Amino acid sequence: MHFFRLIRWIAWKDLLSEYRNRENVSSMFFFALNVILIFSFSFSLDPDTIKEIMPGIIWVAFGFTAIIGLGKSFLIEVNNDCMEYFQTLPGPKGAIYLGKFLGNFLFMLMVEIILFPLFVLFFNLSILDQALPLLLVSSVATFGLSALGTLFSALTVQIRAREVMFPILLLPLSVPIFIGAVEATRGALSGDPFSMYSHWIELLTVFDVIFVVVSFWIFEFILDY
Amino acid sequence: MNAIRGIALSKSFQHYQVLKEVSIEVMQGECYALFGPNGAGKTTLLRIFATLHRPNSGTFEIMGMDGKRERTKVREAIFMIGHGSYLYDDLSVKENIQFAIGIRGWNPSDAEIKKALDQVGIGRFARLRSRYLSAGMKKRLSIAKALLIRPKVLFLDEGYASLDEKGVGMMNECIREFTEAGATVLMTTHNRAVTAEVAHRVGVLTRSVLTEMTVNEMVEADALF
Repeated sequence: MHFFRLIRWIAWKDLLSEYRNRENVSSMFFFALNVILIFSFSFSLDPDTIKEIMPGIIWVAFGFTAIIGLGKSFLIEVNNDCMEYFQTLPGPKGAIYLGKFLGNFLFMLMVEIILFPLFVLFFNLSILDQALPLLLVSSVATFGLSALGTLFSALTVQIRAREVMFPILLLPLSVPIFIGAVEATRGALSGDPFSMYSHWIELLTVFDVIFVVVSFWIFEFILDY
Repeated sequence: MNAIRGIALSKSFQHYQVLKEVSIEVMQGECYALFGPNGAGKTTLLRIFATLHRPNSGTFEIMGMDGKRERTKVREAIFMIGHGSYLYDDLSVKENIQFAIGIRGWNPSDAEIKKALDQVGIGRFARLRSRYLSAGMKKRLSIAKALLIRPKVLFLDEGYASLDEKGVGMMNECIREFTEAGATVLMTTHNRAVTAEVAHRVGVLTRSVLTEMTVNEMVEADALF
């Protein structure tokens, strides 16, 4: 029971802090807005071509937004030596990882949900019918990204070159997530039957599980060095 | 019974040896004050006992539990008030307490939190975000956490730092309350007069040599190191 309560406490603390200072969400939002604006003014394409390139644009925006948001997720723990407090906790350290991960996942998903209407607005997309499949794809892909991002944020937060190291570590390992996300998003946006792109979601789910399990296991060693 | 027992503890950072085969024993219910010049290794010794550092050699026990093999059990028994405040700037004083205690698996009632905050003199700031607290108030908040957690062994790293005269008196009252209840306090300090009010035994750590003395000897000595 304490394990799950610990997860809930950590996620609660992260979401409440972010809600109050809005530091991450504003930088992520304006970065993504810039990406959307640049792409929307660079291309003036017909609806079919837009649907072809749209998944790439969406995941470029989400991917780089994730780098900004997830990269800073452990900074809050370093500011007042809170990592030290975590180190001296008797409870399971993996629960701290899962709490941070849960907070990051919900936070990232919320940012993505805010951004989707902007894609609709600037690219004249009609996604109302595909809203549920798109939400599913976003959730599954963001799950894996958050799992990796949380781990690498913890790994790099104490080093001086963290802003360089974080994307260097995160981006290569997130390639399978981006490939799966782009392909599944393409299927959803095109209005294809779910069975046509469900294998991509299955692939994403497999990577999600691998990333969470491995990160959960590694985190103990990162915190309790 | 020994609450803290360190045997031939050594610790180096890079090529600088901070501790060289230091041994120390602190009895249950005792307040042991550790003096020494800056860089003598007082904090390092405390951090080894608090399971934040691993010694290069030597062994230690907390409440009879092996500090290397039974780290989780050791962590259940200890609490450290260090240089960091372990606070989240965007959470209120009360929320910070709820979080810090909650992640240790216990949910204190509002009345218990209020009592602890009142005892350390910051009850009226319960709803204030901790970013607005002074260093002294943050120290008081840490003491309030310790009062709620009631650890068997309390580590105070320069416990009087940042506290005003009233705060120092309050800290000493809390130390007395802890030791009278059978808890053990190991503190690093530079304030002889104030420490003499609560300490049962004194140790001076100079160049890895721990010289023990009585409180009277400490008070009467012209210089400790």
